[in-house]
Amino acid sequence: MCLLICFHAGKGYKQAKAHLGVRKVRPWKWMPFTNPARKDGAVFHHLALWMITIAFQEADEGKEYIHLFFTSMIKTDHLFDLCRQFDLRFTVIQDRWDVTRFSKRSIEDLKERYYDICNILNKARHTAGPEPKNIAYDADNEKRRKEQLKRLFDRTSEQVEEEANLLQELRKIEARKKDRERKTQDLQKLITAADSGGSTTASVADHSPATHRGTPPDKKQQIRKKNTPFATPKAKLELLPSVETPNTGIKFPEFKASGVFLRSQRMKLPPSVGQKKSKAIEQMLTELGLELNPMPTEEICQNFNELRSDLVLLYELKLGLSTCEYELQALRHQYEALAPGKTLEIPASLLSNNDPAILAEDVSARPKALSEVIDVVGSAATPMRKRKAALEQNNMLKKIKNRM
Amino acid sequence: MSGGVYGGDEVGALVFDIGHYALRAGYAGEDSPKAQIPSVVGVLEQAASVEMMDVDRIKEAAPASEKKYFIDTVALNVAKQDLEIVGYLKDGMIEDWDIFEKILNYTYAKCIKSESEFHPVLMSEAPWNTRAKREKLTEIMFEKYNVPAFYLVKNAVLAAFANGRSTGIVVDSGSTHTSAVPVYDGYVLSQGIVKSPLGGDFLTMQCKQLLESKDIEVVPPYMIAAKEAVKDFEKPKWTRKSNLPEVTKSWHNYMMKEVTRDFQATVLQVADAPYDEETVSTIPMVHYEFPNGYHQDFGCERFKIPEALFDPSSIKGVGNTMLGVGHVVTTSVGMCDIDLRPSLYGNVIVTGGNSLLLGFSDRLNRDLSAKTPQSMRLKIISASGSGERRFGAWIGGSILASLGSFQQMWISKQEYEEGGKTQVERKCP
Repeated sequence: MCLLICFHAGKGYKQAKAHLGVRKVRPWKWMPFTNPARKDGAVFHHLALWMITIAFQEADEGKEYIHLFFTSMIKTDHLFDLCRQFDLRFTVIQDRWDVTRFSKRSIEDLKERYYDICNILNKARHTAGPEPKNIAYDADNEKRRKEQLKRLFDRTSEQVEEEANLLQELRKIEARKKDRERKTQDLQKLITAADSGGSTTASVADHSPATHRGTPPDKKQQIRKKNTPFATPKAKLELLPSVETPNTGIKFPEFKASGVFLRSQRMKLPPSVGQKKSKAIEQMLTELGLELNPMPTEEICQNFNELRSDLVLLYELKLGLSTCEYELQALRHQYEALAPGKTLEIPASLLSNNDPAILAEDVSARPKALSEVIDVVGSAATPMRKRKAALEQNNMLKKIKNRM
Repeated sequence: MSGGVYGGDEVGALVFDIGHYALRAGYAGEDSPKAQIPSVVGVLEQAASVEMMDVDRIKEAAPASEKKYFIDTVALNVAKQDLEIVGYLKDGMIEDWDIFEKILNYTYAKCIKSESEFHPVLMSEAPWNTRAKREKLTEIMFEKYNVPAFYLVKNAVLAAFANGRSTGIVVDSGSTHTSAVPVYDGYVLSQGIVKSPLGGDFLTMQCKQLLESKDIEVVPPYMIAAKEAVKDFEKPKWTRKSNLPEVTKSWHNYMMKEVTRDFQATVLQVADAPYDEETVSTIPMVHYEFPNGYHQDFGCERFKIPEALFDPSSIKGVGNTMLGVGHVVTTSVGMCDIDLRPSLYGNVIVTGGNSLLLGFSDRLNRDLSAKTPQSMRLKIISASGSGERRFGAWIGGSILASLGSFQQMWISKQEYEEGGKTQVERKCP
């Protein structure tokens, strides 16, 4: 900012203003001064700060150059007078701009003109050394910025409210989307786990909680299911509220920690298995006549864990079955209550007693039917996958039967 | 400059703040003015009394008609025959320079008790003061009063200074009008000034109409010799002073106005929300006793009248031509650069005697927050004490003139002699 030329601060701290921020250092000069308290006008010298202000070093020089570019010399003079008087406070300069003599100007116009002149002067005065930097001022950009700000400011409260609402809706939609993605991912994980054929995971995993909420995708799914010829005879069943069956057997944690440990640790049930389940396991184990804590050899360990996992699965399947059964009965009663005189014949394939052996026999006789009963709730997976999953289930049930 | 000497910056400056209600005068550096002199004077045409006494000398006396001025509360309040009440201001600017000088003379002699040539003078002016009037004032101060230095500041700027701000929008609700003046870095943005004629005088007028419609006779204290206690709504029992001179209409009106003004200050209150008969009726009534002994409770009227300040559509016959206080502020801010608006809304400075109405700033806050975007930080700044509010501009002037760094700003006598009266435009923008 070579334009900012200095003059001696002879008049006390007149026009002094705290200039903050990064600026050119104001030079100190050895200057003469008189003390007003002395009558004789003796001259002393001291180092004094030169004040930086907006002024032409030589008025003529400035005018000469400016004249080349601005025909209206008076206008420019007026601008620079105001700049000097108000210390470049362009808001005030615009306010005090003489509208009686000149047309009204916006702050941006005045600023642009001022900086243009500064740049011209800089260039003109420049004699040696590196080219002085131009002061960049983009009036158009400023105008656009202010226009935008104004629009933002002038919004009515309804508009503001609407915008807030829209934003909130967007957030909701995004949250829902995320939720759905998360669920699909969970499902995907389960499916891949089932696909990998681990006996510890069961395809009942398809009973993801999402299916119970009646969210749009579920409906779609149900419709799709209805449309599959496979499911048509049991379409009614599909509308049944499904049974909440937690996903798998037992997932035993792998021992990753270094160091020595007892092998029996591997047989310890993980804390995720609830009390109810562990009780059930215990009971079934005693029914089977097995030890609760067998000798933990490598082989026994593995088999025992697998067995318990399957037991849990069986337990859950039984639980699911009995719930379905209960609901079926409830519906039958409902039907009979609503339509007196009629009795609802429940197909034998859907009936079972709670004896696991018979259930297993039934299953082996009509595996498809049962698999469909269990798959009542459906899943987000593709029909292909579902069938695969159902198949998996059959295998497993067979396995259980064999073991027993 | 002062070298750490206590009082080293002291120059013995005087501060004058000219308002429609009163002229405030005192020394810079003090916290309240020494004197508050009503902005009206009593004028007595001496010649007139001479005429009546001596018929022969009419022809001689007529050209030499001499006016006698009665200045300040004490002189004004004495009942005198033919004493006319005259003001010297119009629209916040000095109109009658003779009376103005008379008041200044009085102030120097009776309140300041010192010679004018020893004290620099800082004077406040209306933000819309004209160049001619400023120059004339400068001329008078230097030529007639021979002051060593002089300075003119817009009263809005001074009010902002008194509240510790250099940027903000000054909402000045005085006796004749309510104005919003944007101030930026100590400079008034004259293009953004918005005025509305709804001020204290307007409310006084409304009160007068109310009392008339209720058939309540307002008797100024000067007429009352004695009164007796009566019950609510009962006819007052009072005796009239026997030796009252024949007073002029304007003087009588002035005395009536004083009573109404007291009524206004005691009874009126601004409702928190737009006027609603139901909510207002739940607020306890206020009791007021007039000088003649008549007294009664006032209920919803006390809210209805000041409501006009904020919602002029409730005034009969005016319609929507006038702006309420909230509207005055938003219009004024709306005329300023968009970059300034946040700092203006962040510093809404409320000043002026009329803003002392109960609930004024709360209501303003409510109205403004309804009109500004929610993201805009809105802050109403108002001095809590009644003195600080009434003398806002004077206190600002007192602070400014006592600053050491202000000494470079004065127009000195020497500068005036060199540059003439046009100096004022340059030095006091």
